[in-house]
Amino acid sequence: MGDTELELSPARLEELQKSPSTSSTSSTSSLSLPSSPSSGPRALTSSSPSTSEGLPTSSPTLDVISEGVGELSLVIDTEVAKKACQEVLQKVKFLKPDGEVSSATSEPVLVNGTAHPESTNGGKPPKITTEEAEPVKSVRRRQKNNSSKQSWLLRLFESKLFDISMAISYLYNSKEPGVQAYIGNRLFSFRNEEVDFYLPQLLNMYIHMDEDVGDAIKPYVVHRCRQSINFSLQCAWLLGAYSSDMHISTQRYSRGTKLRKLILSDELKPSSQRIRREVPQPPPSCPPLLHHGQGMSEHSLSPSKRTHQRSKSDATVSISLSSNLKRTASNPKVETSQDEDLSSSSDSLELEAGTPVRLTPQREFIKSLMGIGKRLATLPTKEQKTQRLISELSLLNHKLPARVWLPTAAFDHHVVRVPHTQAVVLNSKDKAPYLIYVEVLECENFETSSVPVRIPETRIRSTRSVENLPDCGITPDQRASSFSTVPNYDNDDEAWSVDDIGELQVELPEIHTNSCDNISQFSVDSITSQESKEPIFIAAGDIRRRLSEQLAHTPTTFRKDPEDPSAVALKEPWEEKVRRIREGSPYGHLPNWRLLSVIVKCGDDLRQELLAYQVLKQLQIIWEQERVPLWIKPYKILVISSDSGMIEPVVNAVSIHQVKKQSQLLLLDYFRQEHGNYTTEEFLTAQRNFVQSCAGYCLICYLLQVKDRHNGNILLDSEGHIIHIDFGFILSSSPRNLGFETSAFKLTSEFVDVMGGLDGDMFNYYKMLMLQGLIAARKHMEKVIQIVEIMQQGSQLPCFHGSSTIRNLKERFHMNLTEEQLQVLVEQMVDASMRSITTKLYDGFQYLTNGIM
Amino acid sequence: MAQTEKKTGLLRRTSSSKKPLKEKVVLMYEEIFAKEDPTKNNPRFWDELFLMKVNLEYLEGKLESLDGDEVMKVKDNINSLFHHCVQALSEEHQIKVVNALQTLCALFRGVHQKNKSATGFDIINMLMGFDKAELRMKELMESLDSLLCGDGSESLKSLCLKLLLCLVTVTDNISQNTILEYVMINSIFEAILQILSDVSSRSQHGYDSVVLLALLVNYRKYESVNPYIVKLSIVDDEPTLDGMGMVIHHALTDYNRQYKDKEEENQGGFFSTLTSMVGSMFIADADEKLSVQTNEAILLALYEAVHLNRNFITVLAQSHPEIDMSATPAAPVPASPTTPLGTTPPSLDMMNNPELPLDPNLQTSNLLITFLKYSSIIMQDTKDEHRLNSARLCLIILTCIAEDQYADAFLHDDNMNFRVNLHRMPMRHRKKAADKNVPSRPLVCAVLDLMVEFIVTHMMKEFPMDLYVRCIQIIHKLICYQKKCRVRLHYTWRDFWSALINLLKFLLSNETILLAKHNIFQLALQVVNLFNMFITYGDTFLPTPSSYDELYYEIIRMHQVFDNLYCMVLRVSTNAGQWKEPASKVTHALVNVRAIINHFNPKIESYAAVNHISQLSEDQVLEVVRSNYDTLTLKLQDGLDQFERYSEQPREAGFFKELVRSISLNVRKNVSLSTMSQDLLLKEFSSIS
Repeated sequence: MGDTELELSPARLEELQKSPSTSSTSSTSSLSLPSSPSSGPRALTSSSPSTSEGLPTSSPTLDVISEGVGELSLVIDTEVAKKACQEVLQKVKFLKPDGEVSSATSEPVLVNGTAHPESTNGGKPPKITTEEAEPVKSVRRRQKNNSSKQSWLLRLFESKLFDISMAISYLYNSKEPGVQAYIGNRLFSFRNEEVDFYLPQLLNMYIHMDEDVGDAIKPYVVHRCRQSINFSLQCAWLLGAYSSDMHISTQRYSRGTKLRKLILSDELKPSSQRIRREVPQPPPSCPPLLHHGQGMSEHSLSPSKRTHQRSKSDATVSISLSSNLKRTASNPKVETSQDEDLSSSSDSLELEAGTPVRLTPQREFIKSLMGIGKRLATLPTKEQKTQRLISELSLLNHKLPARVWLPTAAFDHHVVRVPHTQAVVLNSKDKAPYLIYVEVLECENFETSSVPVRIPETRIRSTRSVENLPDCGITPDQRASSFSTVPNYDNDDEAWSVDDIGELQVELPEIHTNSCDNISQFSVDSITSQESKEPIFIAAGDIRRRLSEQLAHTPTTFRKDPEDPSAVALKEPWEEKVRRIREGSPYGHLPNWRLLSVIVKCGDDLRQELLAYQVLKQLQIIWEQERVPLWIKPYKILVISSDSGMIEPVVNAVSIHQVKKQSQLLLLDYFRQEHGNYTTEEFLTAQRNFVQSCAGYCLICYLLQVKDRHNGNILLDSEGHIIHIDFGFILSSSPRNLGFETSAFKLTSEFVDVMGGLDGDMFNYYKMLMLQGLIAARKHMEKVIQIVEIMQQGSQLPCFHGSSTIRNLKERFHMNLTEEQLQVLVEQMVDASMRSITTKLYDGFQYLTNGIM
Repeated sequence: MAQTEKKTGLLRRTSSSKKPLKEKVVLMYEEIFAKEDPTKNNPRFWDELFLMKVNLEYLEGKLESLDGDEVMKVKDNINSLFHHCVQALSEEHQIKVVNALQTLCALFRGVHQKNKSATGFDIINMLMGFDKAELRMKELMESLDSLLCGDGSESLKSLCLKLLLCLVTVTDNISQNTILEYVMINSIFEAILQILSDVSSRSQHGYDSVVLLALLVNYRKYESVNPYIVKLSIVDDEPTLDGMGMVIHHALTDYNRQYKDKEEENQGGFFSTLTSMVGSMFIADADEKLSVQTNEAILLALYEAVHLNRNFITVLAQSHPEIDMSATPAAPVPASPTTPLGTTPPSLDMMNNPELPLDPNLQTSNLLITFLKYSSIIMQDTKDEHRLNSARLCLIILTCIAEDQYADAFLHDDNMNFRVNLHRMPMRHRKKAADKNVPSRPLVCAVLDLMVEFIVTHMMKEFPMDLYVRCIQIIHKLICYQKKCRVRLHYTWRDFWSALINLLKFLLSNETILLAKHNIFQLALQVVNLFNMFITYGDTFLPTPSSYDELYYEIIRMHQVFDNLYCMVLRVSTNAGQWKEPASKVTHALVNVRAIINHFNPKIESYAAVNHISQLSEDQVLEVVRSNYDTLTLKLQDGLDQFERYSEQPREAGFFKELVRSISLNVRKNVSLSTMSQDLLLKEFSSIS
């Protein structure tokens, strides 16, 4: 049994290594195979990044990705990686003498979980707990393999060629516990970001595959959970979501559920406050081996206590800032700090009782967002939904800022405010997905940086009246298009100063009346004094002309449509929106202020979306590496449960449906309206963008068999790119199985028109891009297949319906065809798609049923 | 003990006898009003007194009946009573506290009723004694403050507020209430704010606190530095301001709902409407007034908040679902030990209910919407003095709102659309608009609707000139904002213009009657200048080019009104007289309107002549207008987009003095009613103890 499996692995390895070289002309990849194992385990740790760097840069475009990635990790995170590997090797050595059971000398028998890359205190990590050390037994039990193959494999594993993708692949394919355990340890040596990409795969394997795989993965997951709240929550959500397909009875006792509970119980606290990449100084107060509960109460000293002290000081700062009055201003703030005290004291109390607090704010935040979605779904009209959304969010605002963040963002931050009036309900028939904008303050580390102090909504007013007076006057002008011939008699400054005096009125009543009298006299005088002045004449025609010109100058804004509230919001250029919201925000003046947006989906299963995201991202990386200028936009997906999640919206993009409905133009004409005439640079750039994105998405649609491609699911961004959204029907599933959309992808004549027609250069360019893209994708097919294949484990998702999903997917890469044959294939597909009646039929069907143009 | 035996024996005797029952407490009061020191006979006199149920009528009556000399004789005892009342407030025994509070109430009232003519100092002397007054009042205010802020019984807090309201309203004119000087020094502002910021206490005492605050702010508002004004103007704490907003919102919503219920009741048919209208003239009058008056206090509070506190403006737009808040009594939440999101305190009522009620028919509302609805009800009928005052106050509040930049920003926010169902007066020539058809629009549309509604429904003999002026000013301020910020509001300007023209028409046709009472030229000037805004600055805020054409169309169509107005003002301005100057201003203001009329009318006539059409259609006129813009020259008028900012002093001072007086009277009346029914409260405590 074990032998056959083992024989498979090298074969697979070979295939993996050779598949690119067979299809491409490059030979660097095959070269690297022998070279890297020969360097041996020592070589890896001692080899400086610069030596290996030479290879890919000098090599042609078609190179093995794994190298690049592997190096990246070395370059960026050398120290961590080095240390980890050194440790791994040391462990191997340590274990050799007492590895009596195993006959293999170089067998990578490792104590799982000891390979903490950061806990390098002489191999005496402070936090090995029983559950983590557990796998050792089982690993040892099964060690009875022949050494030569093993060592051969080991050499591969320790070569710098070995990247996360390969690791995942071996973890999935190898049935050998030793290999799995080894890889489980190797995970520690990869950069967090690399592993994070495969987190769904890892967790799905953990849930649905056999014990050994799970045991191999768990230490890593536990370790990361200790490090990061964000990671903990991601894991918990994914575990919940991917466990949901199991039968209820098994689910309850499944490993996934248990791990989820462990994470959510918040027992996985960091043993000490570690900031990433810092070599930790173990706090003296931290006893090396503690029982869980004890450890918790002890360790709670460092992270939670610290934050609370900070927030307390925040509160006191705010008091000192705004305490002109003894109690008035500060009163509720005193309460805040009391609250803090209370919660901090109850914190420590609760810790002993084992109640989670570390993850609570974020979970509550997500929960309230989901709650809003659920409640919105019950309202009948868009208008009501929008209004309710706005009022719900304004309530949510009262609880911000807090130690909460948007997991879709790329940087650490705290959410400080939700500009509630900007939120919109998106188009959906029965669910109520909505789009919110979120103001955040970027910070170093959301777990340790202090939560920003709340600035009252009204604060903006005083600042505006005091400092930003000119801004206030200018910005509305900027909002409207260029204008100003009519002399402007804005006495805004005076108005404000009067207002300020009005506030002083309480102390100095006389001044107020005086100033007011002045103004009133002024305004009366200005009319009576007119005779004496030279009268100014204006032409009525000019006024009328300006009016029509100004209105004509703003053609790109969409009309407000109560049935489609998102159209206007999405059409507004992102930069402009950011500026506008920043102006209106009390936090806007802070230099680290950022605006994010997120779509909250409640009642939708985003697991397929996540899968599609991973595939898109992988293909994007492949194409980038192979220098194929295809453009796609994978948007981030956050799966929260099997029926809820969040999506990172594509900014500056509206659906083609909205474009057509609002503009009432053909796509080409809309392009001309937006970007100028055919020969302008803007138009040409937009057209090129369109072609590159169109080719990219056509390939995606073909490879993934993306269906339900109506115009509401295709976005057009302000640069001319198209972006496909909604991957609800991919691979083996299609909507209602109506059998529509038989063509490989959607290519309407309108699209072709934008590309300049069938005979145009751009159209040829489009086909060429597709071919190049397909060749590149095929070269790295394994990486794509792997993502999908692992997720199929234990999944009930409709995209895996039937038994031939993976086989069909593989077939679509056409490994057996020559490049010439591929070219023919692309031609055929384009041809067929263009002629496809079904596309038109499907659009017509959508128009009839959903009103989508 | 002999003493107690004597007491019981005494009681038994009185109850069995035919004589009117004399309570023990009354006997004790009598001892106080005797010259002797009551403790002489009974060293525990004061302790016992506060265990007795207070007899307010007797105490007040007795105080009232004393004349000057008598008072001086018992002054020491009264001082002593006051002193012991204050001391009893810090007693642990709650019954004593309750009784002390009520006794104080009676003292304040009794003394004032008697001494209408006496100076405030006499009263202070009589109650506390000059030398002790400051100390006593300090103690009193401190006790009240700690009672209000403490964790004690809610009924006790309520009684404290009643006492304060009682104290504040003992005089008709609040500024003559000298005792309040001590309330100024020993501020209870913070206690009021605390009540408002807390959810559960707000729902129980919010109304009283807000009224109390509104009254205190009006104490010697114009003469001295009132610390309450100062403090109110700088409150920047959101939960507190929100709380205040909620209380006002609740009160106004209540009124709106009552009105609506009544209206629906009356919608039986024409006859029933008629009878109820006739009936309400006579019978329901008192009842009606009462309800309006109580809301005047709330309106005053809203006014003070909007006027004094610039942060309060944000509260107006704080949207929340319209909840029948009386139906969902805010359950006192156990001080929420861990706020889920960590840092910030829980503030709004709704936040403590994790889920908002799920009624699809539920309209999202905010304080401003409720206020607009309320205003639309109040403005329907301004015949009655109280209602007129209320309407005036509503317009003043709207003036303040329209002047505020932030308020303007959210009024015009395109993302904040609401359906606002304003109440419209049933009129013969128009049907009641179906409620459901109101489109969802930015809030400013509702404000404009309200103004237009007012304009078209109040052209009557008893012309509310003052309200009209305010109304036009509000519109002007809004349009100035739109012009400045280039907000192109999609509003049916046409109806708006024709309402304004009709107003001019009304002024013209009733010139003689109106001129006897009002300066109609001021109003006419404002209206004409509104047109001038549209004519010269229309390009900055009109929604479409065709709306500019329509403006011209409307002016040309109604040219006779403008012609007549011009004739009239010209006539008046050529005569010497008090109206000469204001009338001449109107003639100057009319220059562009007249230019338009004089420019286009001949063109239209010739168009008709050339095409042999007797009556031009609207489209044809618009066609003529469009093709003849270029030959028309307009004069740019100065200062069209400038306005006089609202200031309470000196212009409105008189109004507010009177308003506060009427509110005081009303509050006093209501407080006295409610303090009488404190038996319930006593029972509550006696059962505890």
